[in-house]
Amino acid sequence: MTILGTAFGMVFYLLQVVSGESGYAQNGDLEDAELDDYSFSCYSQLEVNGSHHSLTCAFDDPDINNTNLEFEICGALLEINCLNFSKLQEVYYIKTKKFLLIGDSEICVKLGEKSVTCKKMNIVKIVKPEAPFNVSVIYREGANDFVVTFNTSHLQKKYVKNLMHDVAYHQEKDENNWMHVNLSSTKLTLLQRKLQDDAMYEIKVRSIPYSSDYFEGFWSEWSPSYHFRTPETKRAEKMDPVLLTISISSFFSVALLVILACVLWKRRIKPIVWPSLPDHKKTLEQLCKKPRKNLNVSFNPESFLDCQIHKVDGIQSRDETEGFLQEAFPPQPEESEKQRLGGGVQGPSWPPEHIVITPETFRGQSPLECLAGNGSTCDAPILPSPGSSESGKNGPRVYQGLLLSPGTTNNLLPPPFPLQSGNLTLNPIAQGQPILTSLGPSPEEAYVTMSSFYQNQ
Amino acid sequence: MFHVSFRYIFGIPPLILVLLPVTSSDCDIEGQDGKEYESVLMISIDELLDSMKEIGSNCLNNESNFFKKHLCDDNKEGTFLYRAARKLKQFRKMNNSDDFDHHLSIVSQGTLKLLNCTSKVKGRKPSSLGEAQPTKNLEENKLLKEQRKQNGLCFLKRLLQKIKTCWNKILRGTKEH
Repeated sequence: MTILGTAFGMVFYLLQVVSGESGYAQNGDLEDAELDDYSFSCYSQLEVNGSHHSLTCAFDDPDINNTNLEFEICGALLEINCLNFSKLQEVYYIKTKKFLLIGDSEICVKLGEKSVTCKKMNIVKIVKPEAPFNVSVIYREGANDFVVTFNTSHLQKKYVKNLMHDVAYHQEKDENNWMHVNLSSTKLTLLQRKLQDDAMYEIKVRSIPYSSDYFEGFWSEWSPSYHFRTPETKRAEKMDPVLLTISISSFFSVALLVILACVLWKRRIKPIVWPSLPDHKKTLEQLCKKPRKNLNVSFNPESFLDCQIHKVDGIQSRDETEGFLQEAFPPQPEESEKQRLGGGVQGPSWPPEHIVITPETFRGQSPLECLAGNGSTCDAPILPSPGSSESGKNGPRVYQGLLLSPGTTNNLLPPPFPLQSGNLTLNPIAQGQPILTSLGPSPEEAYVTMSSFYQNQ
Repeated sequence: MFHVSFRYIFGIPPLILVLLPVTSSDCDIEGQDGKEYESVLMISIDELLDSMKEIGSNCLNNESNFFKKHLCDDNKEGTFLYRAARKLKQFRKMNNSDDFDHHLSIVSQGTLKLLNCTSKVKGRKPSSLGEAQPTKNLEENKLLKEQRKQNGLCFLKRLLQKIKTCWNKILRGTKEH
């Protein structure tokens, strides 16, 4: 029994193998050939003509002999089970309203009554939109950009409304260098600076259903191309005349301001911006700006070379002083900067025969030191006094000092103390030593203080 | 104690088995994500309701027996939609325009396509809209026909609104989950 069963099994096995090589082989080959030869692809277009849809199928192999071949779709149809395709040369198509648009359909290639090959497809997943149209490009000079607009019939459709558009543009001389922009609206802006100037461009658009939508499919055909030329860049020449005028006038204004600033810097601007501190010498010079014609005003030490300089030791009697003053000596040569009185005497001028007299109270103290700046030790300024006396002087004693004009009394202060016919000693001093200078106060002379030095005129 | 456990073992499970069909849904609903409804069915329902805007003022307020018997209850949405879709089919051949019939077909067949109902639900035939009663003269018959048509359109409008509401309820439930 076991041997018999084994024998039968082997026979059946051999039969199967043999049949596979001979009889069915031809059919198998034919089926393989049919599967290879009869492969096809389809796409649908919804609402292509009002509420009618279309379905188009074609064989992948263009050389196939489709004389007796037909296409049929079954399933997902309204009120009917199957529909036959119409044939137009190499393409099979259907135009109908009877697509349910829900669920899968089966599309078969039929040779007579026999189905050669079938494919399961969902009509809504093989949608090919209609090509966009009316592509136009408008140049906006003010914004320096190009506005690309186009139209699509899907804007008015009920089912396939949401599409993604692909705008492709390139320079005509640059064949294969296409730029692509994806957008969901029907308007695009291209910046002029991103395009070549004075160049010819070609632009076209295609669409595809949104992948996240219920409807899916393939790219549509390209729209008809639109050609446009970018303008030349004349930005340097086409400057706004108003802007040009404003820029030139502002440049000249700035240049003028700079020149004026340089010219008036020392005289006008610097004294306001950086006022200089009062200087005794300069202030005195200013005070003496308008001297009388017959007056020789000078603080130059060299001008006092011919003046005799005597050191004052004490206060002599008035008579002696007057007598001394009448002897006009030539001025001594040396002089130092410390021979200035610290008062604000304005425009004074002394006759050359004034004598410096110090009061006896300063005995023991060098009057030179007092006038040299030790203001704390001086109780009163030293004034020249033509009436003051002097003791023990032989030679002419002319002192350098402030020269007060006898006529100027406005700013002259009264002497702090009446000059007494007391003890005034005058000592002759050597050349080179700083001397005291005082001015004999005239009745019209005013008391000079430091504050009057600050009145710059 | 023995008799208590006996009751629990042999009493309650059969009760559950009996009640299970009552609580379970007879129809499974595909497309609960709403894509088919929003992209196809809702478009046709809106087209039909737009074409019936004038109808409504003359409709009677009393609820039809159909709506009293079939409700979009919880776990019964599929059953209601199935019954409503089959009812819609009856309106297809009422001398409507092609577009009207076309959209009616989309709604009814599209809804049925998305439902997978048991034979229990499928087996029951939908009640007819009603037959014309024999009348004495043609004019009365004509008037009756007009009235029936009007009533039918009122019912159809109400039915479409109920279908839309039920679908929205299903989708809301899906989003909440």
